[in-house]
Amino acid sequence: MNKRDFIAIGIVIILSALGFIFLNFNLKNDAQGGETVKISVGADIYGTYPLNENDEIKINTKNGFNTVVIENGSVFVKDADCRDRYCVRQGKIRNGSIICLPHRLVIEIESNDKSIDAVAG
Amino acid sequence: MKKVLALTFIMIIFLSGCSFGSYSYSDSFFAMDTYMSVTANGANAQSAVKKAKKQVLRLENLLSAHKEKSEVYRLNKNGSEKLSNDTIKVIKNALKFSRLTNGAFNPAMLPVTKLWGFPDKKYRVPKKSEIENALKLAKPEKISVNKNEVTLNLKGEEIDLGAIAKGYTSSKIIEIFKREGIESGIVNLGGNVQTLGAKPDGSLWTVAIENPDKNSEYLGKLKIKDKAVVTSGGYERNFTKNGKMYHHILNPENGYPAENGLSSVTVISEDGTLSDALSTSLFVMGKNGAERFYKKSEKDFDIILYTEGGKLTVSQGIADSFNSQLDFDIVKKD
Ligand SMILES: [Zn+2]
Repeated sequence: MNKRDFIAIGIVIILSALGFIFLNFNLKNDAQGGETVKISVGADIYGTYPLNENDEIKINTKNGFNTVVIENGSVFVKDADCRDRYCVRQGKIRNGSIICLPHRLVIEIESNDKSIDAVAG
Repeated sequence: MKKVLALTFIMIIFLSGCSFGSYSYSDSFFAMDTYMSVTANGANAQSAVKKAKKQVLRLENLLSAHKEKSEVYRLNKNGSEKLSNDTIKVIKNALKFSRLTNGAFNPAMLPVTKLWGFPDKKYRVPKKSEIENALKLAKPEKISVNKNEVTLNLKGEEIDLGAIAKGYTSSKIIEIFKREGIESGIVNLGGNVQTLGAKPDGSLWTVAIENPDKNSEYLGKLKIKDKAVVTSGGYERNFTKNGKMYHHILNPENGYPAENGLSSVTVISEDGTLSDALSTSLFVMGKNGAERFYKKSEKDFDIILYTEGGKLTVSQGIADSFNSQLDFDIVKKD
């Protein structure tokens, strides 16, 4: 191998290292920001909303509707036309999730605390 | 220059090898009347998760008491059926835990839960006489297993494996992961959490324990590996009639929702089936009963008890891995 080869190898190594650092940096950056409310219907994400901004979201799923309210750092389902209305009766939550099984609707609070891998309950 | 190209190529392979090493695959879906998430880490993660999901759907179609054509549904209808290995295993486990907990775990309560309307969500408060009659059918000791054939010996007797099926399923998923060469993974079957190994970076998993009052902080956070964490409580499913709340965990002794001051029970062990079955049983036993059971049991498990008064108790085996903003007592083995 001659000198030019060494330089080329050096460049490749440096570029790879930079790429690696960049990727990791990006992953870490993702963890910043306030708590969010993630709403999904079936396998699709319907939307994400900041938990600290009051909001009312009316979701029309193919099985029926749910009206989700974000209010003073809590989330609840104000109204829904599912048969058990269990999502409505769950009341306000500040962590974890509300699930409307008949509508395949999942409302999850994504915690600031990224250290949590799962919630048992 | 050719050499350089070759080396670059090797470098690319090496780097992609790195990212394969930290490859993670997740899927979330609805099954068994709940929302499930399955995550595997490792080269084979995608195939492992796909197989896991298939297994969940297969088990649901065997074990659900409410799905027509399921094995359990057929057994309940006909009183006697030849069943597949998995169903036999779950039934045998259910009967074992029924004996082990002195009846606090009872897989034959379906005639009673039906009276309350829990399966079809048409809730009502049954008359005392109705409950007493249905309780006469809730006799696990009248269930016989002969090789692959199960017989419900009382006319009208019906089983429901709902209090153990998810735990069995999460254990089964961990088995699939292992067979697929996965060394790190986590499954959450509607709040039944089970972990395989540690996280890809070698650190422990953090599992938060839900507060029955969902509008406040988690009860605490557990650091674990290779453990199943299952929480049971009346807050999970209930209805209110004339200002009184009725929840779904019935006391097999009297057929009414178990009311003994407990708000939730969490059981931590290496076995998903055991964690699932015992969390329900200990909830039925109440705080004193649960502590007594824990102290005397030869089984290897830990508990977190939370009372309606807001008192938190944790068993000695996990006291150091549990972190909470609340004060907690520690219960020790005898
Ligand atoms: Zn609903």
